[in-house]
Amino acid sequence: MNQINPLQIGALLVVVIAFLFFKLHGVKSELVEATTSYKQSEKLAVEVSSLKAVYANKKKTKNAINRILAQGSLRTAALDVKRNKKSIKISSKSIETKALNSLMGKILNGSYNITTLKIKRLSETKASLDMEIQW
Amino acid sequence: MNFKRTSTTIFLDPSFEAKVEYAKGEKLNVILSPSLYWVKKIALPVKSVREAKKLLASIFEDSLPEGHYSYTAYKSGDEFLVFAYEDKKILSLLNAKGISTVDIRSIHFAQNEFSTLEGAIKINATQSMYLKDEVLVLAPSSWISESKDLDLATLELSKRTIKLQQFGHIVDNKSLYKIGAILVILALVLMVEIFVASSKKDAIVMLKDEVFSKYKLQSTMFQNRSTKSKYKNIHKTQTKLRQYISYFLTMKLKKTQKITLIEYKSKVLYVTIDGTSKGHERSITSQLDAKGVKYKVSYSGESMKVEMKI
Repeated sequence: MNQINPLQIGALLVVVIAFLFFKLHGVKSELVEATTSYKQSEKLAVEVSSLKAVYANKKKTKNAINRILAQGSLRTAALDVKRNKKSIKISSKSIETKALNSLMGKILNGSYNITTLKIKRLSETKASLDMEIQW
Repeated sequence: MNFKRTSTTIFLDPSFEAKVEYAKGEKLNVILSPSLYWVKKIALPVKSVREAKKLLASIFEDSLPEGHYSYTAYKSGDEFLVFAYEDKKILSLLNAKGISTVDIRSIHFAQNEFSTLEGAIKINATQSMYLKDEVLVLAPSSWISESKDLDLATLELSKRTIKLQQFGHIVDNKSLYKIGAILVILALVLMVEIFVASSKKDAIVMLKDEVFSKYKLQSTMFQNRSTKSKYKNIHKTQTKLRQYISYFLTMKLKKTQKITLIEYKSKVLYVTIDGTSKGHERSITSQLDAKGVKYKVSYSGESMKVEMKI
């Protein structure tokens, strides 16, 4: 006839519920943390991806510059173009200002990572150019 | 080896003052004296004991002193024997007699155990019990001409036993079940919530992993933040470089003034403007100031060199 005190069962249930509340709080905190982390990761991923697409896409940058250099106004300009793994160097000891304007207009209006630039006026119609673009 | 515990039958009556002596490990069968319960033999408009039990509280409603009672019923021919008893009162008496509830095998009503009693039995110095209209009652021994002594050794106990509610006086069973059910439901709801939240968290972690593989991110957020910072700096520098160059290309210069050199290296932009002697640079610097450009100016003859950190 040994019976369990209902108060003990009640206390046990209260302890179990308190533990479950504590556990739920923990899981919900983890959920909030995971959601925040996911949103941050997604935002970061989009930003990194779009920045890389602009400044670290070797193929895209190379093709775009090749298209600019192939334009009629620049075909006749005596441009010295050197390409390597990380950059492209464009230089000219004497370039027509018209061609220079056309080239620089396209380069400056595009998203290229210009690391060095030197434009020196030689005369009213001529200038020298040294430029390096990296990716 | 014999594992069967021996048992002894005792008659529990409030008038017995002495403590009950029994060996350790021995089990007790307790017969409750008629003074520890109320009994009625009545006909009820129900067939089963289960149905009868539902009516017991109302049957005893006006006939019992105030207290917390438990009820039980047994079939007796076409009628029912209905009982009311106070668990707490019986438990207190057992405690006073030095009987632990752990050592009790069964509890019986004297009514059920002496239902075939002939004559009267003396249960203490002043009282005897006898059957009156099939109900066992107590009476002063002086009223009865002949009373036998109580002999429990030869008594064969019935299977009609009760279980005392040790904590019935704290909270009644119905309330207890309700509170218990509410707490259990609450616990279940919490468990479901934990499961749902945990599943959502796992799904989000999986989505995060998918983002990493979809955008080809590096393995740690630190590395990715560093990459973002690197390219953001490049973007900022390139935007500023173009902005500063445009300031000079759209600058209003005097006829004698000409830009002869634009040079950018190591994140510094140099612009050389010929035809500007020291003290006459105001027309140029005021335009740069208006744009909020920070610069340094140096001179070499008629040449003005403007230096700006990008």
